[in-house]
Amino acid sequence: MVQITINGKQIAAREGATIMEAAKQAGIRIPSLCQYKDIHKYGSCRICVVEVEDMDHQQASCITAVREGMVIRTHSPKIRSARKILYELLLSNHPRDCLNCHRSQNCELQSLGYELGVTESRLAGEQTKSRLDISPAITRDTSKCVLCRRCVTVCKQVQQVGAIGAQNRGFDTVVGPAMGLPLASTDCTMCGQCTVVCPTGALQETESLTSVWKALADSDKRVIVQVAPAVRAALGEEFDMPCGTPVTGKTATALHELGFDDVFDTLFAADLTSIKAGTKLLNRLNVALTGGEAVLPMITCCSSGWIKHIERQFPDQRDHLSICKSPHTMLGARMKSFYAEKAGKDAKDMFVVSVMPCIAKKDEIQRPEMQVDGHPDVDAVLTTRELARMMKSAGIDLVNLPEGDFDAPLGLSTGAADIFGVTDGIMEAVLRTVYELVTGRKLSFENLQIAPAVGSDQIKTASVTMENTLPAYQYLEGVTVNVAVASGMEGASILMKEVAAGTSPYHFIEVMGCPGGCINGGGQPRTREEGYLEKRSQALYSY
Amino acid sequence: MERLKNIADLIKVKEQYHMQQKRWKRQVLVCGGAGCISSHCEAVQKALRASVKDHFLEEEVNVLVTGCMGTCAAGPVLLVEPDGIFYTEMTPEKVEDIVLRHLAGEEVCEKYTFYDHELHAHIPKLENISFFENQVRIALRNCGRMDYASMEAYIARDGYRAAANALNYLKSADVVEIMKRSGLRGRGGAGFPTGLKWEAGMKAVSAAGRKFIVCNADEGDPGAFMDRGILEGDPHSIIEGMLLGGFAIGAAKGYVYVRAEYPIAVARLGEAIRQARAAGILGTNIFGSNITFDLEIRIGAGAFVCGEETSLLASIEGQRGEPRQKPPFPHEKGLFSCPTIINNVETLANVAPIVLNGPEWYRSFGTRESTGTKVFALAGDIVNAGIIEVPMGTSLGDIIYKIGGGIVGGKAFKAIQSGGPTGGCLTKAYLNTPVDYESLAQLGAIMGSGGLVVMDEDTCMVDTARYFVDFIRDESCGQCLPCRNGTKRMQEILERITEGKGQEGDLELLEELAETIKQTAMCGLGQTAPNPVLSTLKYFRQEYENHIIDKHCDAGVCADLQTSPCCNACPANVFVPGYITLLSAGRFEDAYQVIRQENPFPSVCGRICTHPCETHCRRGQVDEAVAICSLKRFIGDYSLRDEYQVPLVTPQAPTGKRVSVIGAGPSGLSCAYYLANLGHQVDVYETEPVAGGVLYWGIPEYRLPKAVLAKEIMAIEKSGVTIHLNTRVGQDISFDAVKEQSDAVYVAVGTQLARLLDVPGEDLIGVESGLAFLKRVGLKRDLSVPGRLVVIGGGSTAIDVARTAVRLGARSVTVVYRRTENEMPAGAKEVQEAREEGIEILTLTSPTEFIGENNHVAGIKLIRRQQTDYGKDGRRRTAHIPGSGFVIPCDGIVTAINQDVDHQVYTIAQMEINKFTGQTSQEGVFAGGDINPWNSNVAIQAIADGKRSAINIDRYLGGSGQLNKGGCFTIPEAPDNEVDEPHMRFKTRILPVEERYDNFKEVDSGFHKLDAIGEALRCLHCDKR
Repeated sequence: MVQITINGKQIAAREGATIMEAAKQAGIRIPSLCQYKDIHKYGSCRICVVEVEDMDHQQASCITAVREGMVIRTHSPKIRSARKILYELLLSNHPRDCLNCHRSQNCELQSLGYELGVTESRLAGEQTKSRLDISPAITRDTSKCVLCRRCVTVCKQVQQVGAIGAQNRGFDTVVGPAMGLPLASTDCTMCGQCTVVCPTGALQETESLTSVWKALADSDKRVIVQVAPAVRAALGEEFDMPCGTPVTGKTATALHELGFDDVFDTLFAADLTSIKAGTKLLNRLNVALTGGEAVLPMITCCSSGWIKHIERQFPDQRDHLSICKSPHTMLGARMKSFYAEKAGKDAKDMFVVSVMPCIAKKDEIQRPEMQVDGHPDVDAVLTTRELARMMKSAGIDLVNLPEGDFDAPLGLSTGAADIFGVTDGIMEAVLRTVYELVTGRKLSFENLQIAPAVGSDQIKTASVTMENTLPAYQYLEGVTVNVAVASGMEGASILMKEVAAGTSPYHFIEVMGCPGGCINGGGQPRTREEGYLEKRSQALYSY
Repeated sequence: MERLKNIADLIKVKEQYHMQQKRWKRQVLVCGGAGCISSHCEAVQKALRASVKDHFLEEEVNVLVTGCMGTCAAGPVLLVEPDGIFYTEMTPEKVEDIVLRHLAGEEVCEKYTFYDHELHAHIPKLENISFFENQVRIALRNCGRMDYASMEAYIARDGYRAAANALNYLKSADVVEIMKRSGLRGRGGAGFPTGLKWEAGMKAVSAAGRKFIVCNADEGDPGAFMDRGILEGDPHSIIEGMLLGGFAIGAAKGYVYVRAEYPIAVARLGEAIRQARAAGILGTNIFGSNITFDLEIRIGAGAFVCGEETSLLASIEGQRGEPRQKPPFPHEKGLFSCPTIINNVETLANVAPIVLNGPEWYRSFGTRESTGTKVFALAGDIVNAGIIEVPMGTSLGDIIYKIGGGIVGGKAFKAIQSGGPTGGCLTKAYLNTPVDYESLAQLGAIMGSGGLVVMDEDTCMVDTARYFVDFIRDESCGQCLPCRNGTKRMQEILERITEGKGQEGDLELLEELAETIKQTAMCGLGQTAPNPVLSTLKYFRQEYENHIIDKHCDAGVCADLQTSPCCNACPANVFVPGYITLLSAGRFEDAYQVIRQENPFPSVCGRICTHPCETHCRRGQVDEAVAICSLKRFIGDYSLRDEYQVPLVTPQAPTGKRVSVIGAGPSGLSCAYYLANLGHQVDVYETEPVAGGVLYWGIPEYRLPKAVLAKEIMAIEKSGVTIHLNTRVGQDISFDAVKEQSDAVYVAVGTQLARLLDVPGEDLIGVESGLAFLKRVGLKRDLSVPGRLVVIGGGSTAIDVARTAVRLGARSVTVVYRRTENEMPAGAKEVQEAREEGIEILTLTSPTEFIGENNHVAGIKLIRRQQTDYGKDGRRRTAHIPGSGFVIPCDGIVTAINQDVDHQVYTIAQMEINKFTGQTSQEGVFAGGDINPWNSNVAIQAIADGKRSAINIDRYLGGSGQLNKGGCFTIPEAPDNEVDEPHMRFKTRILPVEERYDNFKEVDSGFHKLDAIGEALRCLHCDKR
């Protein structure tokens, strides 16, 4: 511990802590913009500058470590006036179309102005030109970018993709792919994590609301909506409900009120996915254990961002994928075939909407293999954030809605699939399915030891040994199945390097593109609440 | 070369080299520095070699190419040894001449040798040239003195001795100790002690077991080329410095980070590294020790920010060149996260001599806190632009004048930018500043890496700030907000000001912005980015205000604020290109009217104006400025040839307002003229029996005939101005009464109190002031002159007194001036004419006593003076040379040094005069002319002041401030007379000395009509854009 003084208060701070962290601990809030949780400490916006005695210049408190005896002032007149000028500088290169910006009232730049008490902007001049880059999943607007570079860090450091970076220099600096290429032409996985961390309106999902509203207004169309589990664990946040409040019933009610003809739960299809994947795994294990050539480990492919990643980064390892459709497209495909027939509708008059925690799914539904006879399995993907906006614009007060139900027959599910939305969710569901198939018994949790892997907090591993197998699965008796789960592209890449090197000890790998899984998807509400991941996953497990 | 295993091997190489050199009778060293390369030294080299061959001198003359000799502006240059003759501005033709006459004919070709612009003479020997005389070369010890490409030559000059010695006999800690004791500080600019840095590097523990030493050769400041000079001229000195540094800190690998814009440096250093490797100086077991060290060159893509050490490291690692947070410092966590020491090129060039000669030797140069020498690149408006090395603590003035040779074209020095674009500007008031880290920092400038950009009087400081901020804006890496957006906004504000769109509050906003950027930016680049703005605002705030309030760029640089440089330079803003075009079209009267729109004294000013317009005339850059003043005189004389036909302006209808003007000098009469044309009733009160003020009695007839003045005053009176002669305000009528009877008052009383010299004997009979002398003669009150007269002073008044005295029969007249002739305020033409008339001029001399006999002047005690340091006005000060006193017998002494305002009557001391409106603190009272503290005391300024006051008085009286200047004139298209060949001025007709020395006939009788038209055709019409 080191002894420091902040605004006259004596504080014992952890060695190596930043001034901002030490101040926070002492109940002093230092305004900031570019800094983001533990992920991004960069010092580019300088809003968090503080005065430190005996130092020539003001210091960015987000990156300056405390030192014994430091005397710090965080809100002195000099600092407040510096922050004001800095904010004016930010505003001088911002479109200021706040009233019609989708981030209005949910914008960190906007709230910062209020927090700093800035009421004038004396600086004007040339502004960064607006260059819109609209990919199937992500829309970028350079003019709204404040160059905090959170997105760059999340893309490069957290996800290890590195599709975007700072281009040009000085005032001409923009964040984007190299050589001004469109995002869609790069190694971008469309995971959308960048849209979650963006403090302004520079990065967002490519909107799909227009087409959904249009379909709802078209009396010839049967509009079907399905909702992924993770959506229900986070949607409440958009309506100021406490983080971790499950809103499944209210969501069902709201979707009915919005005018969707059928409101289904993607969980049904998730069960299908578990069964299909479990069966495929058993087949491969069978082949392998009986002396044949089988591609192991088998890797899940529910995460559309992950599919893009493996295609771009590990194209030679694609055979490891389980080749199942992701649950929502699986469901969409059923709608357009089996359900359309049942409803007496032509596939072209069926309009399937998926509400997803994910942004990459917007890209996925445009893939050619997700179309049948020119009809996409799913017509539109809405993110959790978009659904909330839709509800708000329809005057739906989610908080006070009664609990409702999903429609039958596709509204029922086993429960194993509920947990698709968290990491190790699919793996658990698949293992349960396999264990049940092989032994005829339910898997008791004592048999499943999930442990974080050494080297990355994005990887967990588990083993389960098959005992007392049913006669058909005798060949699995006593076999220990090793599984691994990665959430986030960094962890996935580590596992994939082992796979590529032929040293992977696993039979089955689950990969979720986003760190923390679908509950932390790129389409989820933006929150800076501490421990939000745990709270959301509790909401998911509470069913 | 064979592998060098020990010191004995080095000595052997040295001896062999010297043996080989002995066979040459002469060596011709041709400068191959970047400056000379760009002035085509290769052609000179080729011609030299061919010519040497043609004259069969191959066996006795050795031609070799060296690094930069320093005199880049005079390139291509060459040095003939052992004679020590230094030839400049070489061409293939000149070099052939030199081979023939000097190398073969043993005759020094003086006309090709270095020309000293101060002394107006050629200085053949290198050792006598003041540029070299005042330098001490340690870092540049080999640059320009040896074949840069020869490692043997480097060894022969004791190269690698220090390294061999250290690696064999010293410990790392010893080398660190030597560096610490030497006091050497980082020459990259920050000045951190090199020894301390190395100590930190030596003590640093590397987890990875690796350390690095990096040479920062990313020299990016505009106008800085010191590092380049060293890399190109003496690459081995950098290798040796890095080897010693690597040994001291325990690094086995070094990187030299050079910018891609220095391809010659990269090539020459690369070749030197190959030589060193081949000789075993880089690699393993260097000089028989167990030391391993090697070097790699990394080429930067030319981002300025990569000169900042953390960005430089990022760039070497292959990352985007952006700074990192410090701490951790590079010596803790640097290149590839290993302890790294970064030194600048010049720092490293100093290392070997320090280790070889010892720290005490090094400390014997420079000051206590800033030891040793510093290399500077002199650039800008300086005669000897190039590279120099001087002991720390040398004064700025000495660098500019003694070494730099002063300002190009004899112009006045305005400011010097030290420390690159993010450095600061220092003004003429600081020429005595010793150049060392502390002194510069105290003044808000920085040493920086050593770029000194000299700016002359024609530099606009707002534009300069804009230029530097634009550079920084362009080079900002874009990482942190204040630098990225702040420099952009500063640049935009400055641009606005230079375009005449500056607003009130701009300066305050600039300051606030600059201060915030300085305080909050992440790296050194951003933190110093506002320096150009802050330092120019500090020293030249007035100039900013002139741009914002007056919309005037005094230096005539900002294009949007002017029609042409001549107009802009004229205080009265006379439309010069307009009347010159009319003249060339033969429309002389129209031309007169165009002048008279802005200045009611065309004919007078055509004779006595100080014509700042000509100083700024762009034709001067081709051959010689257009003779604007003489053309104006021609127009005036032609138009006034018949006094009943003077072209006039019709005044507007009476307004019923009454204005009183005190003083019928040029300022008062101008003000009266414009006010009368607006319909105001104007009364002018003049103490003397004739109008014109100093124009009448202060300027002798031979320069300004009274008849010419009378005609132009008459024209003013015709506009309705009433002049009350023999009426002294305060005596014949009280100031209060004047105020009482008027709606507004304009005070233009001039400066008529002579300043005292403060030497014994000033009260003797026979001592009088210059103005008093001219006045009594001018008003014909007393035409007596002493037989032997001494005049003290160097201005026009002094020269006029002297020439008047000659004309009135003085037998001997001596003018005594304390500075040099170059600095005389009087025009060079006047001085020359005075000499022709037999007047003796003693410069660098001043009086110490007026000797009297019977209370009457009998002689003057004078003393010689010498130039010393620099005054606040930037001029060299002078001081007595002890024991050099002498006496001149004389019968009269006139002191003509300076004048003051007579404050007694008008209590002007209590009036604060507004610089921009001429309004005083007294209601309704305006003031201007010579009493305006911002003015230079010249007629045209007085006229301009009068005119401006007329505008402000009219506004005060409820008018629009729009002057009635008469009709408009369509200026014809200027004839397209572009002539490729230069043509000097046409000459005016000057009376021969024998026809003028004993009378008051006008000396200059002006242009012949044809010559006037010809001269007018020389105008380049800068107003046409």
